[in-house]
Amino acid sequence: MSLVLSGIRKRFKDRDVLSGIDLTIPNGEIHALVGVSGSGKSTLLRIIAGLETLDAGTVTWEELPLHGVPPHLRRITMLSQSPLLFPHLTVGENVTLATPNRSREEAEVWLTRVKLPGRYDAEVHELSGGEQQRVSFARALAAAPRLILLDEPFTNLDPGLKSELQRLIRDLVRELELTALLVTHDREEAMLVADRVTLLETGHVRVTGTPVLLSETESTFGDFVELGGAFYPSTEIDVSTEPTSDSLVLVRPFIRFGHHFGEYRRSTGEYVILPRNESFEVGKTYYLRQKQGGI
Amino acid sequence: MSRILVAFLIVFPFIGLFLTFPTSFSWDEAILNTIAYVISIALVNVWLGVGTAWWLLFTESRWKSWVEWLTFLPLFIPVLASMFGMYIALAQVGLIGTYTGVGLVLLVTTLPYSIRLAYNAMYVIGRPLLEQALTFAPLARIGFVLLPLLKESVRTIVLFSTVIVLSQFVLVQLIGAGLIPTVTTRLYQAYAGNDVSQALQNTWVLVSLPVLFYIGLGGIFSIWIRLVKGRLQ
Repeated sequence: MSLVLSGIRKRFKDRDVLSGIDLTIPNGEIHALVGVSGSGKSTLLRIIAGLETLDAGTVTWEELPLHGVPPHLRRITMLSQSPLLFPHLTVGENVTLATPNRSREEAEVWLTRVKLPGRYDAEVHELSGGEQQRVSFARALAAAPRLILLDEPFTNLDPGLKSELQRLIRDLVRELELTALLVTHDREEAMLVADRVTLLETGHVRVTGTPVLLSETESTFGDFVELGGAFYPSTEIDVSTEPTSDSLVLVRPFIRFGHHFGEYRRSTGEYVILPRNESFEVGKTYYLRQKQGGI
Repeated sequence: MSRILVAFLIVFPFIGLFLTFPTSFSWDEAILNTIAYVISIALVNVWLGVGTAWWLLFTESRWKSWVEWLTFLPLFIPVLASMFGMYIALAQVGLIGTYTGVGLVLLVTTLPYSIRLAYNAMYVIGRPLLEQALTFAPLARIGFVLLPLLKESVRTIVLFSTVIVLSQFVLVQLIGAGLIPTVTTRLYQAYAGNDVSQALQNTWVLVSLPVLFYIGLGGIFSIWIRLVKGRLQ
């Protein structure tokens, strides 16, 4: 029982957006699709949801091919960057509409689960962006899906709210034993939320693996460190808490799967997660420099 | 001062009307024909206008730009210019002087506006929000989401198609071959024959119908949304 994508191809005008994607996601897994803008990750999600047609390939969910199955019969829901709540309905009515029996009681339970108890009769515009996104998540869960598609749902949230919602979604998805597919360009987010990660590059699957494995094997997960505009293997880099003239500030050490990682920003603006380093301490600032006698 | 001037210019055409109410009113074939045309053309416009706009917004067909161009083409060509073409086409199939022929040309002249209105409304609402509706079964999608979201554009489509249908004199006379009486054709005859009471009655029908439909539809939508929200409580 799993989501199986086989040979998925999609072309928009003169550009191949997806060039033969093969991917299997077991039931109950939280899987992250990571890639830069234009790598085809959102298109892939929309194909699975039935919002976009595919040019070639098959999507099979719980052993049933989804070709020709309309979105409302797929038991798949999707959470987007924006909350996309219906403005003519109250907060609770938005959720009730999604429940299979149109039950207010059920909707109130879901609102409580996303920490918005007693807000059933509130108008949508009375809620903050983060609260609206939580309602949107409650609506997605209320539809009793087996697969939930998360299309960069944390992008427009401030950092505190973002991590709160990341944890909430991860915990609820695990508790309900749903399968989830998260699209993100944020590698740290993928590491925090997902069981496995797939890197998409220009419509191809570059690699699939656990976040820890990828952090150790993939250059985009920090195998190469940029110093002064040049790239060095991470084995040639020293990490210290003392700044030097040729050093680079390392921000945001974090812990995932019990291991310590660190993240820094390349001059291109891209965030890079460094390989495991158990000496990284969350909350501290670290500096990188080329090892003495290195290349 | 300018506000008073604008208000005067808006009210000016109706001052004479409000001073002279018709003393008697009689239902005749022209009024019944007009009401039947207005209702049927408005309904078909809502159905085809919203349906086509939905297709244009969501389709990936390579024919999309051609269909878009064709549906909006009549907006750029004056009705008088396309009228003769319609006359020849309908004459070939024997629809001149028939109710169907008149209905068809009234539909042809109103539909492009309805498609444009519905398309613009959907564009403003946004494809992502409309896509959310796709996760609901078709009836729930229309009743709970699309009708409430599109209520103002549906009202505008009905208003536009009503006003356009009521404004067509030459087209109805030509395609109807003088055999299909409507309030508009009667109005011109009344003016020409100096029949003031007939002209006044028909003018009041022309003024009342769009207002009644617009207000009535507003009421129907309010009741509908109340029912929808009641179902979700």
